[in-house]
Amino acid sequence: MLNEILNIILFRKFRTNSAKNNFMKCLQSELAEDFLDVLLKLMSLIFCVDKHFRRNIENFNARYLFMNKDGSITVAAVFNNGKLKVSEQKIDNTDVTVIFKDERALMNFILSPKPDILHAMLNQEVTFEGNLNYLSKFAFMATHLQLMVTKQ
Amino acid sequence: MSQVMLKDIGLKEYTLDNLDILRELRDVHFKSRSEICVERAKYVTEYLREKDNPQDAPVIRRAKTVNYFLSNKSAVFPDNNLIAGTTTSKAMGAPLYPEFFALTIWPELETISTRKSNPQLLSKEEADLLNFEIYPFWMERNVLEVTRKRYNNPQCMKLFEQLIFFVASKAGCISHTVPCYSVVLDKGLNYIIQEAADKESEISKNTPLSDEDQEKLNFYKAVQTVLKGIIDYANNLSRAAIELSKTVSDPVRKKSLEKMAEVCGRVPANPASTFHEAVNSLWISHISIHAENINMAMSPGRLDQILYKYYRKDMDEGRLTIKEAMELVGCLWLKLADNVNMVPETAEELFGGAGTAPAVTLGGVDANGEDAVNDLTYIMLRVTELLKTRDPSMNARYNYEKNSKEYRDRVCEVIANTKAVPAFHNDITDIKTLENQGTLTEHARDYAIIGCVELASSGRSYDASSSVMLNLVAPLELTLYNGKRPATGDEQIGPNTGDPSRFKSFEEFWEAFKGQLKWLIGEAVQLNEYFGKIHQEVVPTPLLSAYFEGPMEKGKDLIFGGALYNSSGATHIGFADTVDSLNAIEKAVFIDKKCTFTELLAALKANFQGYESLHQYLVNKAPKYGTEDPVAIKNSQNLICFLYELYQSRVNYRGGKYRPAYWSMTNHSGQGGLANALPNGRKAGEPFASGITPVSGAAKELTACLKTIGGLDSLCIPGGEALNLKFTTVENESDIEKFGQIIESYFRLGGMQVQFNIMSYETLIDAKNHPEKYPGLMVRVSGYSAYFKDLNDKMKDELIKRTEYNLRTGAAVPFPGFK
Repeated sequence: MLNEILNIILFRKFRTNSAKNNFMKCLQSELAEDFLDVLLKLMSLIFCVDKHFRRNIENFNARYLFMNKDGSITVAAVFNNGKLKVSEQKIDNTDVTVIFKDERALMNFILSPKPDILHAMLNQEVTFEGNLNYLSKFAFMATHLQLMVTKQ
Repeated sequence: MSQVMLKDIGLKEYTLDNLDILRELRDVHFKSRSEICVERAKYVTEYLREKDNPQDAPVIRRAKTVNYFLSNKSAVFPDNNLIAGTTTSKAMGAPLYPEFFALTIWPELETISTRKSNPQLLSKEEADLLNFEIYPFWMERNVLEVTRKRYNNPQCMKLFEQLIFFVASKAGCISHTVPCYSVVLDKGLNYIIQEAADKESEISKNTPLSDEDQEKLNFYKAVQTVLKGIIDYANNLSRAAIELSKTVSDPVRKKSLEKMAEVCGRVPANPASTFHEAVNSLWISHISIHAENINMAMSPGRLDQILYKYYRKDMDEGRLTIKEAMELVGCLWLKLADNVNMVPETAEELFGGAGTAPAVTLGGVDANGEDAVNDLTYIMLRVTELLKTRDPSMNARYNYEKNSKEYRDRVCEVIANTKAVPAFHNDITDIKTLENQGTLTEHARDYAIIGCVELASSGRSYDASSSVMLNLVAPLELTLYNGKRPATGDEQIGPNTGDPSRFKSFEEFWEAFKGQLKWLIGEAVQLNEYFGKIHQEVVPTPLLSAYFEGPMEKGKDLIFGGALYNSSGATHIGFADTVDSLNAIEKAVFIDKKCTFTELLAALKANFQGYESLHQYLVNKAPKYGTEDPVAIKNSQNLICFLYELYQSRVNYRGGKYRPAYWSMTNHSGQGGLANALPNGRKAGEPFASGITPVSGAAKELTACLKTIGGLDSLCIPGGEALNLKFTTVENESDIEKFGQIIESYFRLGGMQVQFNIMSYETLIDAKNHPEKYPGLMVRVSGYSAYFKDLNDKMKDELIKRTEYNLRTGAAVPFPGFK
């Protein structure tokens, strides 16, 4: 109930539509600039407005760190008690850390179906350190959003 | 004395036109679509989440978990098969093993049903169950993550996760072995349960109980628990068959269901008394293994030997006809093909199109060294010839001193008619090779094939033959770039073995290469050892142990070294390309001085662009493995010997040695697609040659090719080898005889194994361009069979480009040009 009220007060559904559009543009763009930022913003909003999707993070505690190779992009995503907090700072004790060459490579790596996942890994475009299962879960949630946006 | 009583060993009067049940089931089989089955994952998770007692010893926890699944497993009858039991709840199911790799399809749960490459159906409800209930439970619990945490994410694991150095299949399974079902068929599970109970009771009398006694007690308790689960499943099948029979009106089907109910009420709990009971008992035993362990190359073994006495008795007593025997064998073949592996999209690149490779082995000699070919051998060959299914993976042992020429030629005829199966195995070298590994002669004579081509003494030897799949091109490139690989950039991966441009001789390069190879094998073996230890803690295997000689006597699970013999297999990808690259370096840089090492490296980096003359020289003038060039023979033999000595010096966590092998599944295509240009003239991204087969187009003359490969010391290849040959056509009796003679000559030269595709370049090109015209075209890949249409494009191209020989002349057929 509280969440429903907050959705109205905070214009979450309106912001969600805007975030979906941004995500769609990102998916279609050549460079996939700001992919991570756009993805995580959309993810945060969908967690608020979509009860079924929120179920993904009930009782889910996890720390993700995404960094590009030159260090100009650093994004931490922390899931804690049904909430997602995103910050642009390095965090310790991550469950998985993903290092990517550019955001296009990261997008190809995370979203399925993409035929070049292997090449992204093998060409060192994306590497990860830590628990692969956390990455798989994150990729599932991201793919769900991709399908949600592209099937509209 | 020959056991062959058939008047026509070809059984030509039996066809799919008069074997109605097989024709119908085959049609159903080819129309079935692969589906993910969540049932096993659901019950295994449910048990561990809600019913598990963490105080139980690991082996007991495992037994209770598997028992829980088996007791609750669906008893379904998806078609009119005469044998009861299914691997999964689906007609063509991919079971999930969350203890291992099942979580790798997590990202794809909503897309796996519709993906372009080999989709696997999964309903929304089942996807939700996996996403919300099952997978979260396993995030920290699967073998890969437990190992990573326990050993602090070691370097060997990072190398494994980069995929281009080696694959450690132990992260994903306890598999690749040949259990022996004879004891279940002959004595029944109740006998084994009682045996375990007696041993438990005997040990309980020891006071005080030592730690070893306690471990034995746990093992014997676990065996009883887990085997009771199988009996529960059989009883559930029996009840379900009765219920179903009440609902069907077709009298034939009704009778069949009633028969299955009767059979499952008796076996596998009790000894089989008929051929039908023996076949169903064996099948339920095979299903049960997949309740515990992954469905990958768990091979039922020498079925013409195991089932023969039941067949003979029924035939002699007039209870069975040849037609009925063929129907039951055909039903078993289709049951063995009722499951597939769960394959994530990424893995399609490396393993796409693979079946589960349950290998069946026919023929050869018996424990006394005498001809073991019998009527059932020919019945199984005929059924194979008629059904033409990918699984079971069929293998024919041939002992040119003991088996008849008629048998040899009949196997050739089946290969010609199926275009691909069975594979041929040389009994004489295989037995010697196993004896050299310390296997007693009578046990070596009872060998069967594991999965692709690997050798195991049936039900005595736990060989985990796919423990390591090492890419030989990786150490080659590490040597070329002094510990780095082009694919992994500037990172120092391997040791510094020197800048090759400063090497003064080929011997220096060879030493450096051996250094990189030794280092990489050390890493691969280390990771296998880590996984082995974690298997012991997390996934012991009491059910599989009950089907082996050794564990019951020792009171020791298979994974702790309970089997009579133990080993770990390490197969190699890119053998021929590596040898040819060594040849090219020796010849071009050090003998002919055609180029300097610096120039060669520059050409490789440029993918030979701007170096066309050098490229032509490397392709056409450098010595090639598969020819009688002395440099090529020396380098191939040196590499085989070096790998053998290196692996054999390593003892695994079960006390067995590592065994090198040369088969590659589809990895030679996947790994080739990811490697840079090589000194043999292979350009970046092109597939490697498969198994132990020469590079396509390199060996122009079949005789020389077979002579050089047969000349490799088989004692140094204890894990087995896959030689792929392609013949244009085998049309008449004279061709069959010639075909048989070629195989015999190769075996007399020492060759271990050979498998064929009987099809032309043009046929395969047409099949690639028009898959709808070839829905059931079966091909041998590198050890196993696949449907051509299921393979990825790279693998299809590799099969197309494989050297095609004219059977009658032995000359390579010119390649017609391919887009």
